[in-house]
Amino acid sequence: MINQLAALGRGTINVLEALGRSVIFLVMGLRLPLQNGLGLLLRQIHFVGVLSLPIVIVSGVFIGMVLALQGYVVLVDFSAEEALGQMVALSLLRELAPVVTALLFAGRAGSALTAEIGLMKATEQLTSMEMIGVDPLKRVIAPRLWAGFISLPVLTVFFSVVGIFGGYLVGVDWLGVYSGSFWSTMQNSVLFTDDILNGMVKSVVFAVVVTWIAVFQGYDLEPTSEGISRATTRTVVYGSLAVLGMDFILTALMFGEF
Amino acid sequence: MNDSNLVEVEDLYFSRSGRQIFSGVDLVVPKGKITAIMGPSGTGKTTLLKLIGGQLAPDRGRVHIANKDVHRLSRSELFRMRRRMGMLFQSGALFSDLSVFENVAFPIRVHTNLPETMIRDLALIKLQAVGLRGARALMPSELSGGMTRRVALARALSLDPDLIMYDEPFVGQDPISMGVLVKLIRQLNQAFNMTAIVVSHDIKETLSIADYVYVISDGRVMAKGSPEELGKASDPRVSQFVHGEPDGPVPFHYPTDVDFADDILRGSGLKERTS
Repeated sequence: MINQLAALGRGTINVLEALGRSVIFLVMGLRLPLQNGLGLLLRQIHFVGVLSLPIVIVSGVFIGMVLALQGYVVLVDFSAEEALGQMVALSLLRELAPVVTALLFAGRAGSALTAEIGLMKATEQLTSMEMIGVDPLKRVIAPRLWAGFISLPVLTVFFSVVGIFGGYLVGVDWLGVYSGSFWSTMQNSVLFTDDILNGMVKSVVFAVVVTWIAVFQGYDLEPTSEGISRATTRTVVYGSLAVLGMDFILTALMFGEF
Repeated sequence: MNDSNLVEVEDLYFSRSGRQIFSGVDLVVPKGKITAIMGPSGTGKTTLLKLIGGQLAPDRGRVHIANKDVHRLSRSELFRMRRRMGMLFQSGALFSDLSVFENVAFPIRVHTNLPETMIRDLALIKLQAVGLRGARALMPSELSGGMTRRVALARALSLDPDLIMYDEPFVGQDPISMGVLVKLIRQLNQAFNMTAIVVSHDIKETLSIADYVYVISDGRVMAKGSPEELGKASDPRVSQFVHGEPDGPVPFHYPTDVDFADDILRGSGLKERTS
């Protein structure tokens, strides 16, 4: 009994300690180096953002197509298939684009960030950088954090756009919904602040959470091959769970008018 | 602090994960000399370098470099001081995303505003000194172990540091690259009057270049002196280490309280608990 209590206490202390470390890490890791900071940032944006585009675009098109197909099946019973554009756009902008892009981002860019930083730690590259007198928090961590913060919202925009395009392909070109009403219902119902801005706010929050988790897991891991594999898994699992949990909270705050 | 010493370590205590690694280490590194720190594996020699470089903080005691207490410096002061220190890591620790040339140019690029042509010249001078000017376009993954360490040496030297620390420079080297490294360390010290700390357990090579040697064991300085003095040491533990005898005061067997014969006889039917 006492042992279990002690284990519980130890576990709690460890979790709180890691949380504290990660917050200090985030604050220290936000300062980009003055010299060549932009160059380093652009390189990382290429790595985590541009190279994630293919998977985001392909997923976006398919999700849009599936949405249109499923939506049509339900709406046609009520002769409301004209509202397909509204349904596809709102689902994407409010929920699917921010959430699915963040999940894909955690899987593709997040795991890569963790493994890369972890390997740099395991091969003493971070230590040697410190000994050269260069702060790895500025040189290695900050560009990666900012690249994630910037890339994910932009990827989310791409996801929404190609998703709507996928919905148009299926709804209008295949199922025969009138193209004018597809666009006009969308234009009439989508509000900039309520839908687009809220979706982007979600996306920015997910970007911070997922990138923070990924980079911290890489920096804080045990520098062995097992440690790297565990940390990479943790990045994807914690990142995905955090996104889904945050999504509920944010949705409740934004759309749950109570 | 004595001005003829570059590094002074006083009464250093350090523990990690509940294990006491140093309990009262005192040593000095005179300017322009090669000081060797030797000792069996696991005595915390690398840890000592990390304490000197300010990457770890001691539980008690002080480390002074050029009259400054390393562990009282702010983060930015510490980083500034490290520009005057070079460290050769056992693994080389080259940046895997940069070429050999860019690795050597890296410290010059980040710490100076020199024009590109001068950075190129400086990096090539360092690469020429370690004999790898021709390998400048290679990536670290294309280098052999010995070449990796020479590139790392060129990088550690790129800002002409006052102090250079070698962490196990001879481990895992073939006889030729071992000879090259011994020669390089000696030459650097003589030509540039560079102060060096060599951490190693390769006795022959280390004793051949060191001016002064500290032997560390069980968290303290067990013996110190010039290589000649250590060769004649009467302390059985020092003598065992210096002459590389497999058994002696430092036992060959990891301690256990069960006699070997009993252990075997008790054997069949018992499961070995490995955890």
